[in-house]
Amino acid sequence: MLRRTTAALAGSVTALALLATACGGGADQGASSTAAKKTGEVTFWSFVKGSDKVAEAFNRSHPDIEVTFETVPSGQEYYSKLTNAVKAGTAPDVAVVEFPHLPEFAAQGKVEDLTGLLGPVVRERFPDAARQLVDLGGRTWGVPRDAAPLMMMYRKDFFTRHKIDVPTTWDAYRNMTEQVKKADPAARGGVLYTDNPGLLSALSWQAGGRWFSTEKDSWKVTVDDGPSKKVAAYWGDLARKDLVRSLSQLDPFWTSVQKNRTVAYVCASWCAGAHQATVPDQKGKWAVAPVPTWDGKPASGMYGGSSFVIPKGSDNSGAAAEFIKWITTDPEGMKAWVSSGTSSMFPADPKLVPVTKAAFTTDYYGGQDIYTLMAQSYNAIRPGWTWGPVMGATNTAIVDQLPKVADGSVTLPGVLAIAEKATITQMEQRGLKVATP
Amino acid sequence: MTTSPTLHPAAPARETTPVTGAAPRPRRPRRAPEPPTALLSKAGVTALLGLATLYTLLPLTWLLLSSTKSREDLFGTNGFALGDETHLADNLGHLFEADGGVYARWLINTVLYAGVGALLAAVFSVAAGYAFDKLSFPGKERLFSLVLLGVMVPGTAMAIPLYLLAAEAGLVNTFWGVFIPGLVFPFGVYLARVFSASYVPDEVLEAARMDGAGEFRTFCRIAFPMVAPGFVTIFLFQFTQIWNSFFLPLVMLSDQDLYPVNLGLYVWYSSALTQGHPEDYLLAVVGSLVAVAPLIAVFLMLQRFWKSGMTAGAVK
Repeated sequence: MLRRTTAALAGSVTALALLATACGGGADQGASSTAAKKTGEVTFWSFVKGSDKVAEAFNRSHPDIEVTFETVPSGQEYYSKLTNAVKAGTAPDVAVVEFPHLPEFAAQGKVEDLTGLLGPVVRERFPDAARQLVDLGGRTWGVPRDAAPLMMMYRKDFFTRHKIDVPTTWDAYRNMTEQVKKADPAARGGVLYTDNPGLLSALSWQAGGRWFSTEKDSWKVTVDDGPSKKVAAYWGDLARKDLVRSLSQLDPFWTSVQKNRTVAYVCASWCAGAHQATVPDQKGKWAVAPVPTWDGKPASGMYGGSSFVIPKGSDNSGAAAEFIKWITTDPEGMKAWVSSGTSSMFPADPKLVPVTKAAFTTDYYGGQDIYTLMAQSYNAIRPGWTWGPVMGATNTAIVDQLPKVADGSVTLPGVLAIAEKATITQMEQRGLKVATP
Repeated sequence: MTTSPTLHPAAPARETTPVTGAAPRPRRPRRAPEPPTALLSKAGVTALLGLATLYTLLPLTWLLLSSTKSREDLFGTNGFALGDETHLADNLGHLFEADGGVYARWLINTVLYAGVGALLAAVFSVAAGYAFDKLSFPGKERLFSLVLLGVMVPGTAMAIPLYLLAAEAGLVNTFWGVFIPGLVFPFGVYLARVFSASYVPDEVLEAARMDGAGEFRTFCRIAFPMVAPGFVTIFLFQFTQIWNSFFLPLVMLSDQDLYPVNLGLYVWYSSALTQGHPEDYLLAVVGSLVAVAPLIAVFLMLQRFWKSGMTAGAVK
């Protein structure tokens, strides 16, 4: 299944890349002739915490390469900055790109094709779950750093006190949210973020939805396919019945956690670290559980996760590739990422899990073995998920509508239909071929 | 607010003095329905102004109160109430120590970008505006329309073209990449021309020339002091504009040591909550408070110039 998709993608993405190079013009022609040189200076853009430590550690152990790390803001602003830098020929040699944005950069020809330099490493070290996100059209465009398998966080003390069972299916999850609200009218057992579609897409992924796929040389957009619509109807219903809180930002979310008003929520591996750092005084009250599924069998998706790319026009791709390889697959590199001891990120390379596990103490969660739970979730990630080539437009279309879901003026499945339409319009404007589903 | 009530009684008073007896009578029935509408409009205006005041002051209040809180209180207590303990001194200490004291660096950068940049921009604007007003040279009005065209184009729209130009010139990720665009201020040139026309009488310049002063000396010693309020107005306009400009530094700079303070704060804020570093969130809050303080100080200090400058331009 996966192989067929990637084969089909091959034609389209290379065609897209060609188109982009032809239109963009002026791109470095010499860059593709990958010099095997592994020395010199490498500039490195990232917003991921620990990037400074990683660059320092790399410089210490690689005297021939000098990595200069530059902090950049995260979010959509960063991607427009990176796009413009490539256009102007001032891009760094290494940059972070979150998984959902990678196809957009690849289709626009803004990143180097890493198949030759790092393809073998990606094939050897990463399971399908992560590889499907960086391999497009049979070419490798980035190297995964962390995966973000779904998890569920819940207040152990609250659940025990009110005799609420930890849900393993989505039906049970709905019961749980009802029980929580009955036990404490101010408390809720979940969140629908209205400023970020990430969780919604992760849950669609988990349910077996596929927002994007390719057919021959064109993209197929099915943002409102059956499983995704099921997920949307479910969460839209929870939000409208006020069983989960509809929140616009992370600030009010953490306020609700701090005030004991959010007692369970669906999140990903990295949330364990973020949670304990943000709400340190609720130590011992929280636990991590596998994310509920539709049929009770393990299934998962990713909420977040990042990869590293070589932007088009880098003049030192040999050394840049060496750096990327070290920070994504070397135990020492992984150790540098988590040296602060506050990150619960889950490495996309399963061999490195012991490194991150050793760095993150789980006293906050009563010594729970959360990395084993994460690994199970990682293994259960559904194959066949591809992010779209205009994710910025897709996300904006969803976020514009999300705040209206809770008051019932739009339905969540309706939002997906709107997003699909907006996505197709944007793709046609960019000259991408869209197959009628 | 103070001008409208004084104007109204003055107008009828002047009318009633020459026309005696008959005049007040028709006015009386008219005056009777006036107070309610006047009162209504007064109440309406006051309410609107009150709303505008709240809109301005509420975020500042939140900022002030949140800056005094500990991280737990920031999420655990009401945004418009005091926290359980006051942590302002601690927070300020952390702010200036974080990331090797980079915040002080950002402040200095911003003062250079906005302070020095706006000062030079104001000098150039006044000189150009004066030249447009007082001197005659070929193609003057055509050049001036070019300036007006520059006024119409929003700064954000210029950021990407400027960035591409800077990339050609090798100024990307340098101090000059952000500083030089700040020197160009077409609206200031326009204002300066208006100011020059209203403040600097041609007779004075003629007298100066008669006494043997050269053009440059006339401008520096005679005209410039006369348009000083205009100069301050232009300076303040450009100062706030550079201080608040975000998109240009965002695309132009990637070296953290060159960031202006708003970009630095955004870096802290944007990754604080998503990446589980809530201390950065608190830093961004306290940093924002410290960053608005100089702006308020500059405005309070230069307010009287600003006011006289505004009205002078308006009358002409």
